[in-house]
Amino acid sequence: MATNFKKIIDSGWTNFRRNSYLSFAATSIMALVLILFLGLLSLQFLSSQIVASLQEKIDISAYFKADATEEQALKIKSDLSILPEVANVTYISQEQALADFRARHAQDELIQESLEQLDGNPLAASLNIKTKDTSQYAAIAEFLEASALRSVIDKINFYENKGVIERIESISRGIRGWGLIVTLVLVLIAVMVTFNTVRLTIFSQKQEIEIMRLVGASNWHIRGPYLAEGGLYGLFAAVIALAVFYPIAFFASDKIAAFAPGINFFGYFLVGVPQVVVMVVLLGVFLGVVSSAIAIKRHLRI
Amino acid sequence: MIKFQKVKKIYEPHDVVLNDINLEIKPGEFVCLVGMSGAGKSTLLKMLTKEERPTSGNVFIEGVDLADIKDSDIPYLRRKIGTVYQDFKLLSKKNAYENVAFAMEVSGAAAEEIEKDAPQILSIVGLRDKLESFPEQLSGGEKQRLAIARAMIHRPKILLADEPTGNLDLVNSYDVVKLLLKINELGTTVVLASHDTNIVNTIGRRVVSMDKGKIVRDQTHNGRYVI
Repeated sequence: MATNFKKIIDSGWTNFRRNSYLSFAATSIMALVLILFLGLLSLQFLSSQIVASLQEKIDISAYFKADATEEQALKIKSDLSILPEVANVTYISQEQALADFRARHAQDELIQESLEQLDGNPLAASLNIKTKDTSQYAAIAEFLEASALRSVIDKINFYENKGVIERIESISRGIRGWGLIVTLVLVLIAVMVTFNTVRLTIFSQKQEIEIMRLVGASNWHIRGPYLAEGGLYGLFAAVIALAVFYPIAFFASDKIAAFAPGINFFGYFLVGVPQVVVMVVLLGVFLGVVSSAIAIKRHLRI
Repeated sequence: MIKFQKVKKIYEPHDVVLNDINLEIKPGEFVCLVGMSGAGKSTLLKMLTKEERPTSGNVFIEGVDLADIKDSDIPYLRRKIGTVYQDFKLLSKKNAYENVAFAMEVSGAAAEEIEKDAPQILSIVGLRDKLESFPEQLSGGEKQRLAIARAMIHRPKILLADEPTGNLDLVNSYDVVKLLLKINELGTTVVLASHDTNIVNTIGRRVVSMDKGKIVRDQTHNGRYVI
């Protein structure tokens, strides 16, 4: 079995070398397909990262009136935390808010001076709420509206952020939906191009296959080396695609980081090297073998 | 050994290629099948390797009705019959040695067996120095001798030769015929389809003449080329 397998791979490799021109063409096409695949993967990664970082920035806050007590605020906080939609709730007391404000404007002397002039604390205590999903902010706003302690809440800033939240949401839905459709269409085209290239390669050897049948080769005996050859196209294509992709990712990474800070594009693909390599190689070999199998089928009638 | 029984082959709608063929060939015979192009010689030979199937009637080899052989078993049938063609049908991507080795590999021969037998048969047909040559580097006569070596590697009981000299000059043609006669002397049944008068007359064995899909004459001894 093992020696048979080796023999098949060997003769596949011999075919690959002797048909160097066609092998080169098929391998290049498949390499382009795999690069396209890696590109789509990057696009998917970048768009999801951008949407995630935007979503990270969204929250809603409920500001309390000056006469609200801390107990009332904490009561609302504990009511909120048991809701399934809520990721976390932070209570920011008046003092905390003032300290934050001071720290944020530490450089600004005018503001520091103005604060000195004031008797009391001009800032309100607030609850800062993050949900698990941006679509759930409306529900949180409604929950606060209906709360028994609504009277101590001054304002809920959801209504000011509503537009932004909805827009980000629709962008992220769009990216997910259209991204999937575009990816599927491109993958389909890629598979068809690969398949046609391999089919041409095999068609050029129609006569060889015919002769093999005439000297009494069984179908598997004929098919084996062609499948191996297809697999080799995929393997070499994967190596080429990876060799092209990684340097590009390395140089693009800085540009992307400048545009969207906090996204480590190259780092992501570097950490995932084993997975990416295995995935691309498997995809390439699979594409090659399956294309060969389909293409050779019609030449194997007895 | 070989028996055709009321064999008819019709290509739709009504192109009759073979019409009521009855023919029996005994083991060890050397039979020349003669006739003009289109007389049905090739079709008759192709029936024996099941490349063509009769529209009606039966073909037997060693008592087995070929209609009973399943498609998946056809490769085994073909390994038992050697075939030689006018256009050689060599694998152009394989060298002489590999062409012979391939025919052995497909029947599951062990590597040692291939390494021993393939060079041996190639030296029998006079290609000992051409093991590494690819078909395009060989002359017509050498190609045909390579094809015969490949056909004989399984030591088949039957050798079918379809116009093997059609692409060869006189000298090479006689070399090929001598080789076929030698193979026949060693016990293999040979069926040679040819429309070359000189070749057939030189051989002087059984001659079966065909015309328009029918057998019109069967000279069992010292046959001449007549239709």
